[in-house]
This record gives sequence, structure tokens and C-alpha cells, in this order.
Amino acid sequence: MIKKLITYMLLIISSLIIFFPVLFALLASFLTPSQLSRGQYIPTSMSLDSYISVFQDVPLLKFLFNSFIVSSTVTIGQLLLCSLAAFAIVFIPFKGRNVVFFMFISTLLIPWEAVMIPNFITIINFNWLNSYLALTVPFITTAFGIFLLRQHYKMIPKELHESAQMDGCSNFRFYWSFALPLSVPMLSALAIYAFLTTWNMYLWPLLVTSNNDARTVQIGVRMMISQESATSWNTIMAGVIIILIPTLLILIIGIKQLRQGLMSGSLKG
Amino acid sequence: MERGTDSATKYVNVKSLVDSETSVVPKTSSKAKNRMRKWKLFGEGMIYLFPAFLILGIFLFYPMIKTLYYSLFITNPRGETVVFVGLENFLTLMQSASFQNSMIQTFKFVLYTVPTGVFLALFLALIANEKVRGIEFFRVIFSSTLGVSVAAGASIWLFMFHPSLGVLNNLLQVFGLDSIGWLTSGEWALISVSITTVWMGIGFNFIIFLGGLQNISQELYESALIDGAGYFARLFKITIPLLSPTLFFVVTVTLINSFQSFGQIHILTGGGPNEATNLIVYSIYKEAFEFSRFGTASAQAIILFLFILLVTIIQFKVGEKKVHYQ
Amino acid sequence: MKIVMKRTVLFMVGMVLLMVLVACGNSSSAVQKTEDGRIIVDFWYALGGNLGEAVEGMVNDFNESQSDIQVNAVYQGSYEESLTQLRQLAGTDDAPAVVQVFEVGTKYMIESGYIEPVQTFINEDNFDLSLLEENILSYYQVDGQLYSMPFNTSNAIMVYNKDMFREVGLDPENPPATFSEVRDAAKKISDYYGSSVDGFSVITNGWFTEQMIANQGGLYVDNDNGRSGEPTQALINGEEGQRWFQWLYDMKSDSSLGDYGRAWDDHRAAFLGETVAMYLDSTASLAGTVTNAEFEVGTAFLPTADGMDPQGVIVGGASIWMMTDIPKEVQEAAWEFMKFTSKPEVQAKWAASTGYFPITKEAYEHEVLINTYEEYPQFLTAVEQLQNTTLTAATQGALIGVFPEARERVVNAVESLYGGTDPIEAINRANEEINTELENYRRANQ
Repeated sequence: MIKKLITYMLLIISSLIIFFPVLFALLASFLTPSQLSRGQYIPTSMSLDSYISVFQDVPLLKFLFNSFIVSSTVTIGQLLLCSLAAFAIVFIPFKGRNVVFFMFISTLLIPWEAVMIPNFITIINFNWLNSYLALTVPFITTAFGIFLLRQHYKMIPKELHESAQMDGCSNFRFYWSFALPLSVPMLSALAIYAFLTTWNMYLWPLLVTSNNDARTVQIGVRMMISQESATSWNTIMAGVIIILIPTLLILIIGIKQLRQGLMSGSLKG
Repeated sequence: MERGTDSATKYVNVKSLVDSETSVVPKTSSKAKNRMRKWKLFGEGMIYLFPAFLILGIFLFYPMIKTLYYSLFITNPRGETVVFVGLENFLTLMQSASFQNSMIQTFKFVLYTVPTGVFLALFLALIANEKVRGIEFFRVIFSSTLGVSVAAGASIWLFMFHPSLGVLNNLLQVFGLDSIGWLTSGEWALISVSITTVWMGIGFNFIIFLGGLQNISQELYESALIDGAGYFARLFKITIPLLSPTLFFVVTVTLINSFQSFGQIHILTGGGPNEATNLIVYSIYKEAFEFSRFGTASAQAIILFLFILLVTIIQFKVGEKKVHYQ
Repeated sequence: MKIVMKRTVLFMVGMVLLMVLVACGNSSSAVQKTEDGRIIVDFWYALGGNLGEAVEGMVNDFNESQSDIQVNAVYQGSYEESLTQLRQLAGTDDAPAVVQVFEVGTKYMIESGYIEPVQTFINEDNFDLSLLEENILSYYQVDGQLYSMPFNTSNAIMVYNKDMFREVGLDPENPPATFSEVRDAAKKISDYYGSSVDGFSVITNGWFTEQMIANQGGLYVDNDNGRSGEPTQALINGEEGQRWFQWLYDMKSDSSLGDYGRAWDDHRAAFLGETVAMYLDSTASLAGTVTNAEFEVGTAFLPTADGMDPQGVIVGGASIWMMTDIPKEVQEAAWEFMKFTSKPEVQAKWAASTGYFPITKEAYEHEVLINTYEEYPQFLTAVEQLQNTTLTAATQGALIGVFPEARERVVNAVESLYGGTDPIEAINRANEEINTELENYRRANQ
């Protein structure tokens, strides 16, 4: 009994501390600038003014739309390209596939920051600045995704593939009708992970966007800070809350898949 | 978070990756036919792999070589190489007070963020592994910072650290204490950036730890209970040793993440005050995109690459030996 | 099986083709037009908050005033961020047609090769430059040529809280004018309120160091501040710069100087929240400060060293530049916009809604500005200060190719001083670092 009490106390105190910043942002978004400057943090009334003004002051809807397009494209791209590559490595017994796989895996050692300068120049040469292409194409394949799916495909019984081949089922057909449906849990973990990390990208969009055509919410928030911080922190906090909602929702819905996916990706290797 | 930062991707146990595959190709009578078949298979495999090859080639392999190439040159602002200088960029960096400072601050930052980040997440995972009513709610809360982007998270902390409007300084005032220059004083800025970083990393680490804890078999605990072991005895005799692979993984990922921190610095301090938070990636960014010196920036990028390589190698070598596997 | 393989191949080939197509598809640098045939001129600006709103307002007025040109104003963050962005994108199709760059970027921009001097259009169009303020022109003219159109100009003043002055027994109508007077007043205020109020603060920006050195008649670099030749030596650690650093250090030691960092807004917020009693600011945001304050705001000249007459201030702010890599038609459209911004009525409205000076003399005669100056006499401090300025190499301001980098060094020096470094040591080090930057720049531009 006492043990339970202690557990609950620890849980509640920890959650308050961990969640305090988000909670605080939420509170601040309902305040007026003058309340904030007086250090009065408990809203007296639910004023939605800052939510209205954040949509008026910055093209937040456009930013959200951009982020959504970019994240979805990268997610779909990763699912498709990584699953194809992993499929070939596991089910098509061509020579040199281990070498290929090693090459893929070795890219995990390259931090994106170490290659961003040449990549930035590549994007300029392709004339992709301020376009969705710059934000999506470089990310539609990851070695992590290939690795994760390869691990999973290997658990599909070989006999299944053999008998399918005997029945005249082509490799592509097998990929489409068996391999993909059988790895839905893993695919959804990868999808959630890809979506979250793309949505949250910061440095790269900062480099390749200079107007609102493709600018994502993350850079939008940064712009908002330098534009609004004179008086309207409440507006900035309202903006922050709005961009938090999609990712928090995805996280809450997909937390189980994500946990399983990340676990198998990280440890069962 | 960039691709490089999604650190789950960083830890892959290469040794066990490549195991010999049993061929599913049925034996054919003629050699020529066999060779034909082999080429056909190769061709088919390549078709599936081509898009992935293309992307990784253009955006990871090629630029990595290009970075190495740039690091040996002085470049003009258009990104064209002007003079070949060999290792001069690296030598200049080693002698530059600013770069030395950047390295020192980066290591300090790693020291501040990694142990705290790991221990806090471990603590949270331990208390969230108890089977009590409503535990799922707490688990969601503890994981929530994974859903908080660096821009959103840093913006909130920027406001909390605000010198006159911030809640932290207001709290200090309530207790009659002097306010702190969280982001403006040389002593505090790195600590403040570290606090933000630890907070943002907790969600991910927590999820991994919780998964690791749930993989430990209950029977071990039950037999320990029969032996009359107390909570802490079980914690140190069973939980921690069995959790060591997970622990090791989390340490590595947090370490690599620390090296790659950028967004929170860009938003919170801009590398200041007096370069106190000018960590390596920020330094690369400034050198390359503010001062248009791609040569020295690339040299720094190579150094970053080597650090991460080193961490990964250590992880394989030491990790394999010291870590207790189930 | 073969059909499926063919399909897969087709799919892959299609994808590659698509990538190539998209890559090459939008590489035309033709004139961009709106649906109703207006030429599009992209304009990057770097002013946030109410200043940014004023820029947007001016651009809207221009777009409504005629039907051939559509100026698209895009906010690019602070001056530093916006210049960084420009350096990355100059020469690409994503570079703007017109860009606002802060005054210290002048020499860099001239020598960058990115820009078309506005003098070309001034000559072609017989634009009368004598309509503009001389001291503003004297900053931006290099060798008799005007390279960019002055846009927003301001100078530094001291802003103070009159109510607090009354409360602690200082004369609100007679603000402190010298270093030691300010120090005494700041100490008095801090002693009165205790730790909750700082007597004084300065935004940690290199601009104030430039102003304080000029106000004492000192030069920033040799060769007449770089105006008569390529600068070779930084001079900021002369006695003028040392006095300024020592003064900051002394006030910091008194605990009467608050360190609110590099962000301009954080100092303004502290002043408005009555945690700082006096601070140095640009006149630019005066309109916002005066209207948002819940107390009486006073303004004063920049303090000067003891026993010294103020020499005056450097014109600060920014100018707008025309890029050279754009079609002639767009350049001409951009020139129309530039001419519009310098019109007296436009400048009068601009000055009244911000706190910047009008760049056109005639603007002072417009009613909206006269009314504003009557309503907010605080604005006049800056105008007087500018008019009292004796035009010398010191107050004309320095021309340095690596000025943005030099500012960064100075900012680091001020921050290390706040962190307890000896002020003379700090400024000497900054001076050395700027010397290295100067040398690198000379070598790169030989």
C-alpha cells in the first residue's frame, strides 16, 4: 500500500515536471501581453485572441500544409523504397547482396551535418531551393528503414516464398501480396518514426527555404519569434501549441507500434 | 532533428547483420543457363535497389567524398574550390582559439547532457514499469517529448528563460532570489541549453528503456522475491545487469545526438554569449553559411564525422565485451 | 513475371525521368508575372514586429498606387539572418530582386558582385539626389557613387523611465549626459529598488560600440575609417573605445547594469516591464516603446565621456539594394519601387509610424509627421542629435568589407567583459581579431 502511494507520488511529480513546459505554453497562449509582463500566469478567462492573431500574423496554415506534404511524402517514399530494397536483399538471391547491404548500413555512420554543405550546393544546382523536392527527395530512403524491414522479412518463412514461386507467383507479386501485408506492424512503426522526424526537421529546411512556398512550421516558428517577440509571447506560444498538436496526437496513437519497432530496430539486430 | 539525428538509426549491430543466406535457386543442369539466371537475378535485384541506391548515392556517399575534398581546399563564396591547401584547414582549426573553445564547450555539453539524460529517463522508466492503475497515461506523458520538435521545444524554453518575462526568473523573485541570466551569462548559457536538450531527449530514451524493462522475464523477479531480495537488491542484481544492452544503446544514441545539437542553440543563444554555446554543428553552420568558408567548415564536418565514427567503434568493441546479454 | 518486371522497370525509369524533369523544369530566369500581367519584384526585408508591419504597409501602398508592378515583401529574420540567407542564395533564381541590408554591410555588398549600383538608374532617370538628407547620403555614398537607396535610418539614443526618476529623486527633465553622471544615476536607482531593478542596460550589439566611439570623435579603422583607402588596422582599442568598455565594466561591477543579451526586444521588454530604468536603444522602435509604456518615457542624447562635447552619431539603419542577376525589366520595376519609397509623403508616413528619420528633407513638412512630433516630443531628441552632429570621418561611419564579422567580435568582447574579463584586455583582443579579419579580406580580394 505504501509502496503504491510512493509510486503514485513519484509518477505525479515527474509528470508535472516533464509536462510543465508544454502546460506552461498552453497557459501562456491564453494570456494577454500585459498579464504576461506582470507575471500573472493563471488565465482569468479563456481568451482565444492569440490563436486568432497567430493565423493572421503568420501564414501558419500554409506552413502546416507544407509540413504535412513534406512529412507525408517522405513517409510514403521511405515505406516504398526501403521495403523494395529490403525485399531484394532478402528474397532475390543475387550475387553481391551482402556487399550492397553493407554499403547501405555504412551510411548510418554519416551524420547529415557532415554532408549538408555539398548537399546544399547540389540542391542549388538542381534548382530545388524553396521546393518540396529539396525537403523530401534526400530523405526518401534511409538505411535504418532498409535495416528494420530486412530484419522483419527474414522472419517470413522461406517456404512461403518457395511455394509462391512454384505457383508461378512473380517476385513483385510476392512483394506486393505477401511481404508488404505481412509487415504492416513494422511498416507502421517506420511510418510513425519517419513522419515524426521529418516533421521535426530544423537545420535542413532552414537552409533550403527562403520564402513561404515550402517553408515548414518549424522554420515558421523561428520566424515568428524574431518577428513577434517584442510584445506578443502569447501569440508565439499559441503557434507552438498548434504545431505540437499533430505530432503529439500521432505519438499518442502510435506509441505502441513505435515502441515495438524501435526496440526491434535497436536491439534485436 | 535531421536524418543523422534520428539516432535509433545509428546503432546497428553489424556483426550479426550479414549471415549466410541459403540459396533458394533450384539447381539447373546447364552452366550457361545457370549464368543467365544469375545475371537475370542480379538485374532484377538491381531494379528493386536502384531508387535506394540513387538517393543514398546522391545525398550521402557523393557528398561525403565531396566534404572530404572541400576540406582540403580554400573555397570562394560560390562553393567553388580555389586553392588546394592540403591539411592546412585542419592545422588552422587546431590552432584557432575559437575552434578549441568550440571543442571544449562541445565536450562539456556532452558531459552535462548524456549522464543526466540517461539517468532521468531510466528513473522514469523504472517508475513507469510498475503495474498500477492508469500507468498508460503516465507513460504517454513521459514519452511526450519525443513529439515535441526542436523548434517548438526551444521556443517554449526561450520564453521560460526570458530575462524579465520568464517564469523561471519570476519564480526566483518570488523566493527573493536574484534573477539569473539564463541565456546571457557565460556561466549559465551552456547549462540552460543542456537543460533544454535533456528535456527534449527524455521521451525517446524513456521509450527505449521501458521496452527494455518489459523484455526482462518476470520469473527472475519472482524467484528473487522468494529469496527475500528487497527492491534495491533486485534493481542492482537483476534489472540493471539485464538492462545493460539497452543502457548501452541509449548512452550511444544520446552521445551522438549531443554532438549533433543545433536547433536549440540556433533558437536559444545563437552560439553566445562570447561563444559559450558555439558547439560543433553550430560552428560548422556559421563557418559555412554565415561566413561562406566551405573549406574550413568541411574540415570541421570531417572532425565531427570522425568523432561519431569513434563513438560507434568504441560501442562495438567495448560494448560487445562488457555488456551482459540475456 | 516478365510483364511485372517490365512494369517495375517502367516505374523506376519514370521516377528518374520525373526527378530530372522537375530538376530542369523550373530553371528559367524569365520575368515572373502575376495573373493580371504585373511584373513581380521580390523584396526581402529584415524588420520584425510593428516595423515589419510598416514595411508591409508601404509595399501595399506601392502596389495599390500603380498597376504594372507587384512587389512581394518577404520577411527574412534579423539583419544578420537575412544577410546570411542572401549570401547563400545570391546568384540563384531564389535570390530576391531587392534586398534590405544593414548599413555595415555596405562595403561587403558593393564588392560582392551581386548588386547593380542604383547610381546607374539615378543617372538614366535624372533622379534628384539633393532631395535626400546630406548626412544620410554621406554614409552611403562611396567615391561619389550611390550604390543603394537609403531606406530606414535611425540613431542611438538613451531612453529612460521618468516615473522612476521622480521616485528615486532624480530630475526627470534633466537626464544624465556624461559617463559618470549616468553611472551615478544608475547606481542611485539600483540602490533604491534593490536587486529587482537594474539602473541601466545596453543591447549587446556592436552598433552601440560604433556609436560611442564616434560620439567621442574616435575612428573604428584607419585610412579615415576606410573612406580614403582599404582599411588595414582596427582602431577600436583607442582611448575612446577603452573608455566605453571601462564604463560598462564599472557599471557592471556596481551591479547597476543589467545584461539582457543580444535580443533588442528583451531589453525593450525589460524597460516596459520596469525592470530597467535607462537603456540605450535605436530610435527605430521608439513609437512602439512610447505607446506601450504604462509610464512616462523620456529620451536623451547618447552619453559621452566626461568633460567632452558629443561629436554626434553615425547614421544607422539599412538601405535597399538591387541585385544584378535579374532581367532588366525587373530591375526597372524595382527602381520604380525604390523611387516610391523615397517620396516625401511615403517617408513622412514611414517616419511617423516607426521612429526612423525620413530620408527626404521635404518629409518634415508633411502633416502626419508634424503631428507625430507634436504628440511625441521624444522623437525630436534623435532629430536634434542628428542635426547637431559634426560631419567628420568619425561620424561618417566606417567602411569595412568584414564589418558584420567585426561586429560579432565586438559583441563577444562585450559579453566576455560582462563575464568578468578585464575591459582593456577584452577590447584589445577584439581589435586583434578584427585585424585578422581585415587581413583575410584583403587577401581574398586581391
